[in-house]
Amino acid sequence: MSDQSINPARDTGGMVMACVFILIASISLWDTTNMMDSDSYVFPRAIAIAMIVMSLFLIIWNIVRPAGFMQEEHQKGSAARRIFLVAVMLLSCLVMPWLGFLISGIVTFGLLMLVSMYDPWTRGRKIVYPLVAGVIVVGFYTLFSKLLLVPLPVGLLFE
Amino acid sequence: MPGIEYILAALTPFNIFLAITGVIAGTVIGSLPGLTATMAVAVLVPITFSMEPSSALIMMGAIYTGAIYGGAYAAILLNTPGTPSAIATTFDGFPMAKRGEGDLAVSIACIASVTGGLVGAAFLLMLSPPLAKVALAFGPVEYFWLAIFGLTLISALSEGNLLKGLIGACFGLLLACVGIAEISADVRFTFGSQVLLGGIETVSALIGLYCIPVLIDLVATPDKHLKVTHQSRGFRFLEALALSWKAKFSLIRSSVIGTLVGILPGAGGSIAGLVSYSEARRTSKQSENFGKGEPEGIMATESANNATVGGGFIPTLVLGIPGTPPDAVILGALLIQGVKTGPSLFTEGGSIVYTFIYGLFLATILMLPVGLVIGRYAYRTIITVPKAMLVPTVAFMTVIGTYAIRNSISDIIIMILLGVVGWILNRFGFSPSPIVLGLILGRIAEQGFVQAWTIGAATEELGKMFFGRPISLVIIAFILISLFYPVIRARLPKLTLFRGKNNE
Repeated sequence: MSDQSINPARDTGGMVMACVFILIASISLWDTTNMMDSDSYVFPRAIAIAMIVMSLFLIIWNIVRPAGFMQEEHQKGSAARRIFLVAVMLLSCLVMPWLGFLISGIVTFGLLMLVSMYDPWTRGRKIVYPLVAGVIVVGFYTLFSKLLLVPLPVGLLFE
Repeated sequence: MPGIEYILAALTPFNIFLAITGVIAGTVIGSLPGLTATMAVAVLVPITFSMEPSSALIMMGAIYTGAIYGGAYAAILLNTPGTPSAIATTFDGFPMAKRGEGDLAVSIACIASVTGGLVGAAFLLMLSPPLAKVALAFGPVEYFWLAIFGLTLISALSEGNLLKGLIGACFGLLLACVGIAEISADVRFTFGSQVLLGGIETVSALIGLYCIPVLIDLVATPDKHLKVTHQSRGFRFLEALALSWKAKFSLIRSSVIGTLVGILPGAGGSIAGLVSYSEARRTSKQSENFGKGEPEGIMATESANNATVGGGFIPTLVLGIPGTPPDAVILGALLIQGVKTGPSLFTEGGSIVYTFIYGLFLATILMLPVGLVIGRYAYRTIITVPKAMLVPTVAFMTVIGTYAIRNSISDIIIMILLGVVGWILNRFGFSPSPIVLGLILGRIAEQGFVQAWTIGAATEELGKMFFGRPISLVIIAFILISLFYPVIRARLPKLTLFRGKNNE
């Protein structure tokens, strides 16, 4: 493709994100007004101001000289599966204090296995996958809790 | 040059066993996202208390060097640096793995790590006392500029927009400020949340920003994670060796850079890897291939980060100042053993220190077969495991790895949320690397900045404090070069052409 055929489009998404960063930096600047000691606020203020300046520059640069932005292939695929993955992981953290690490780990593993399964569930897979999942979760749980002595949550329901 | 008796002392069957065990344990721990080299050494250090000091040091050095190398596996195969020092390995390692050359990338990383480790150990053996003085020449302001240098490098290296990289770095620096301020103990950016009082843990953030976006994209499509080649191609060792030989000067230069950066306390493998990567890209004939799966990129990072092992031991042993966080753990273990570090260690405790250095050589050499075998196994596992097992396994490892750092469920939630933020930012061209590095270097940058600011304000020489010291000026020059080099290089051919036309 020749250079002439590239139609420079504005990086609208980048500009929106720059606005979000300006907002974040402004909130940070406002929060530094509550700090008493100059040692606490001098650095974050300098960084927040630098972030605002650069974000503004990014917006202006995009308006004046749009360079074109090639969006990567993030949009293809199932949005529902993406959301389900994040939701399951977050929910497992929320129930972990009650169910404990082992039980919430097994449940989460199972749900994530279902959401990432694209092949048909043959009889062999129905037997092997849950078994392997159990071995992985119990194996890591044992490694961390017994060998590395990490105090993984037991769960309020089992105490 | 110390005598052969120390070499023989290092080569006892027990020390060889310790070196092999240490390298295996370190490599496996380092390959798991969330388990860092510091953690690997800290977890296994109690085993060494009953050993002779030199044997204990050999085992700890082997664990450390293995863990730094192990970080490359996750970087190459999962696009998630197993340790912060492997951040730049993701730039070319993952693209290589995506096009079906993960086995070659792992072998290249192994050869480069061994080379870097040997160069670092050689510097430790021959130049420790004079090089230790370098560490003392760096004051707070130099550390501030060094941190900024690391951030500008990664911003310039992140594919795409420099401005976006710099904004990401600032975002990372602001995230590093969350929690209780280290110098004044003020509570910052917590907005009343007790969960945020402890700040954002850097390794959890690293796992979230790199690993969660990979999982989010992995689960969305039935496509294979990596391109699979069905015929067995072995270790591809000779191919990797030939490529390494071709880039031998780059490999040695990166190893020397890694050693020198490793000497600076706190700088660590992440800066070393980035500086070497940037330098390799600048000087390479295939510089346009960097970031798209260029083997030289992996060599530069991996040789540099393993060279920091030897480099970091220099201030640790000569001055008693740990060069890197794992060195701090090792220093603590040495104090428990009754070994006093300092310049006299090399004369009075020669048997300990020289046996250890030769042991480090031994461990690094042993890393070649051990690393190749484990690397091949890791690669085969990643490409053959079905997606329905890979996604939950990696997700489970991120959760358990994050929890293990501070025993905190809140850290897991922050890790997942940061991952989602990273995925969204990535869609708009904001790479996770500057954010992560901002978080890692935030503490060093702030300490240096605030200390220099305080001294400058007290002496009423603020400008001179930041811009008047020779080492600072050199680093500032490097910062400017890293920022404007792509612009200068792009303009240079046009300028030459313009002058040529004028001359005609």
